[in-house]
Amino acid sequence: MKIGLEIHVQLPTRSKMFCSCPTTDADAPNTHVCPTCLGMPGSKPVLNKKVLEYGIKLAKMLGCTIADTTWFSRKTYFYPDMSKSVQITQYDNPIGYGGMYYLNGRTPIRITRIHLEEDPGKTKRVGELSSLIDYNRSGIPLAEIVTEPDLKTPAEAREFLGQLIQDIRHIIDLPGDGERSIRCDCNISMGIERCEVKNVTGLKNVERALTFEMVRQTKILKAGGKIDRETRRFDEERGVTISVRKKEFEADYGYIDEPDLGIYHVKELANSIKIKESPLNRSVRLSKEYGLDEKTAKQLIATSMELTDLFEEVAKATDVQTAKTWIAGVVSANWKAFECRCSEHLEQDSTRNGILEIICKYKAGEITDTECSLEIKAYMTGKDPESVQTESSDLDSIIGEFLIANPEIIEDYRKNDKAINKVIGYVMKRAGGTYSSTDVVCAAKKLLQEKI
Amino acid sequence: MNMQSVLSSLEKTNLRYSMFNDFLKNGEQGNSKFLFSAKDNLTSKDFETCSGSRILEGYHPVFDATAIAKMREAGGKLIGKTNMDEFGFGTFSTNSGFGIPRNPFDLERSCGGSSGGSACAAAVLEDHVSLGVSTGGSICCPASFCGVYGIAPTYGRVSRYGLIDYGNSLDKVGLLSAKASDLSKYLPIISGIDEKDPTSCVQPKLDLKKEKIRNIAIPKEAIDGLSKDVMTAFQSSIDTLKGMDIDVKFIEMPALKYAMPAYYVLATSEASTNLARYVGMRYGHQDGDLSLKFDDYFTYFRSKYFGDEAKRRILLGTYTRMAGFRDRYYAKALNVRMYVINQYKQIFNEYDAVLTPTMPFVSPKFEDISKMTPVEAYKADYLTVPANLAGTPHLSVPCGYDGNGMPIGMQFVTDHWKEDLLLTMANEWDHTFDMKRAEVSL
Ligand SMILES: [Zn+2]
Repeated sequence: MKIGLEIHVQLPTRSKMFCSCPTTDADAPNTHVCPTCLGMPGSKPVLNKKVLEYGIKLAKMLGCTIADTTWFSRKTYFYPDMSKSVQITQYDNPIGYGGMYYLNGRTPIRITRIHLEEDPGKTKRVGELSSLIDYNRSGIPLAEIVTEPDLKTPAEAREFLGQLIQDIRHIIDLPGDGERSIRCDCNISMGIERCEVKNVTGLKNVERALTFEMVRQTKILKAGGKIDRETRRFDEERGVTISVRKKEFEADYGYIDEPDLGIYHVKELANSIKIKESPLNRSVRLSKEYGLDEKTAKQLIATSMELTDLFEEVAKATDVQTAKTWIAGVVSANWKAFECRCSEHLEQDSTRNGILEIICKYKAGEITDTECSLEIKAYMTGKDPESVQTESSDLDSIIGEFLIANPEIIEDYRKNDKAINKVIGYVMKRAGGTYSSTDVVCAAKKLLQEKI
Repeated sequence: MNMQSVLSSLEKTNLRYSMFNDFLKNGEQGNSKFLFSAKDNLTSKDFETCSGSRILEGYHPVFDATAIAKMREAGGKLIGKTNMDEFGFGTFSTNSGFGIPRNPFDLERSCGGSSGGSACAAAVLEDHVSLGVSTGGSICCPASFCGVYGIAPTYGRVSRYGLIDYGNSLDKVGLLSAKASDLSKYLPIISGIDEKDPTSCVQPKLDLKKEKIRNIAIPKEAIDGLSKDVMTAFQSSIDTLKGMDIDVKFIEMPALKYAMPAYYVLATSEASTNLARYVGMRYGHQDGDLSLKFDDYFTYFRSKYFGDEAKRRILLGTYTRMAGFRDRYYAKALNVRMYVINQYKQIFNEYDAVLTPTMPFVSPKFEDISKMTPVEAYKADYLTVPANLAGTPHLSVPCGYDGNGMPIGMQFVTDHWKEDLLLTMANEWDHTFDMKRAEVSL
């Protein structure tokens, strides 16, 4: 089985690709529009240079060759939501081509190309006879990433897409709902002919659509049938793909160079752009450098890049084991609260330094581990140390008593760390609401670790 | 004063010459400093803009073209939108959806195209300047046929914002006027970089006091196929130029004969994509059965409202960029274009300007035009197309009259950004040449 993906990423510019209309959600249809994105006669596209920058960043992330000069093309086709019946896209020389992405840092997935293009408007069916068109989306910048058919299973495709999205979000600072702004065309072939499932949104749906196709195509082949080359769409509600059109004839878009825009010499720009380390590369590096297992590394990164920064800082200031114990423990448990409390300053090291100092004090033997834990918690949540201490000693004694009454749990925990759930369940039942779940988990873990 | 009299007689004048699609009725001059008109493919807020096509009938743009806006800022009053071949497709202004402008020297003859209405207005109205647009010769051709001055600047000198595209990599906004001095007066006004059009360039400022044209090259290839009257007028003009202390030499310029096919491939390729947006949905004219499937509706609408020449060019342009033909036609034409530019560059290393007649014959009668095949009509542009393909500036000046009193023009081409040479030439020529104005009787 061969699976290739075409991934459309909405680039997070503030204005559209070729005009100054905003890209934010509009209150009403056709309010974020102007002569250019409506394709009015005489209007001209003016490229938002940010789009090139984002394109270069993604091309670098994907290990693509970046063209020294790049330009745009016109793709002609007739559809009501296309304001000019012409889409400005890249054809001859995309911003990047010939890249490689290593799934889990190991499995190579070849990247055919990445190109930049404008989104068309949106059509909405109203009843049987009419359609309404909203051009607010018309001209929103997209990057399209095309992979070679190197993915082998629907699950692998999902994993790939998940990692890719996380990396993309980090590299070009996609907003939190980044997954929504990513659409995917999935190509799948079990034999010779391939089918394309257009416009699938979300990781889960990509896997569902591909799995459905896998089963459908296998059945046909087993029965001695032939797969038709065609375009299909995914019905999210029913979980099935439906044929849209047979591809007996390939559409001819009659590409020409976009004459309203010039040629862009991007060599210097490309050289000047440095990209951040992608989350995937970082987790690979963390495993190598600190001997972290893959799962812990990914968890750290998934929680927050700043938490991962802190991990590295602590590891350098003390040692890897200390960093692991504290960062993966109490610091990680209180991270969300910490983020909420000082969201704006998190990127500044000074805020994080407080935690580093406390851990260093512990490492130097100035405070006990209980004190260290309390201080970190007090620092991160902004509560006063006294109440943190009372809370946690209360919590400790509740758990301690429970463990004394139920020693078999400790035995269980040795073999299966899920045994902790009994402790958590008990505390929540007895004193539900008084303590936050992260506190309970943290304290239970700590006491169980001490007992085994 | 004559501004007011031009305004009050506009309706009557137009009845005779059909030069406007839409114009000011009972206009007052107010505090305007001058009157101007603009080709109907330049958008303006106060007039209908149809680009000569019925497919845009009733279209009122929401913005002014930059060239029009700049003329207004300079104190100009826009009095009307001039008639033209549909989307600029033609050499005689006979392909308009809204009547045919008539040559001021002979009402049975063409004004030339596609800025025919603009040339007519320049010839007929007192003290008038008109904004024209050239893609393959659409300023120089009508200037020559109507006996006025016309200049098409370097591609990128004047913003194309608000210009309804024909061939975007070729289209240029320029000027037509009976007064040579108007070209120097208004070209600097409409020039300059415009952030709304990325192809309007950072450019050298026009320096009108700079040097003049000292030597001129005439390609031998340009002399083939001229009518007798044009040849005679051209030869005597060469003598006049020599008398003005200008060196004139005949040269070979083989690129001239390849320019035409390359031009038609590029222009129609681009045109066919530009015209794709006219589907009866968003602006201009609308009618038909809305319950049809969208592609059936689009087909119905485009079949009904595009003129024959527009359809011909859409088909030609779609063909040349189709998969399988693209390399043979579109990509090849891009190469030929480079070849033509390089040959001009070589000539400009030695000469200040290339000179040819503007059109190979004087304005033909409408009855003769109707007998021409499309290819014959396309061939008439062989002298104006090369400079347009190269994006070099060019100027047509009146240089003689045939036995029927029909004007004859000649065309100077200079290197990119050397419009100043052309403008000085126009003014000098104006002092030497005895220009005849058409008899205007209402
Ligand atoms: Zn817009």
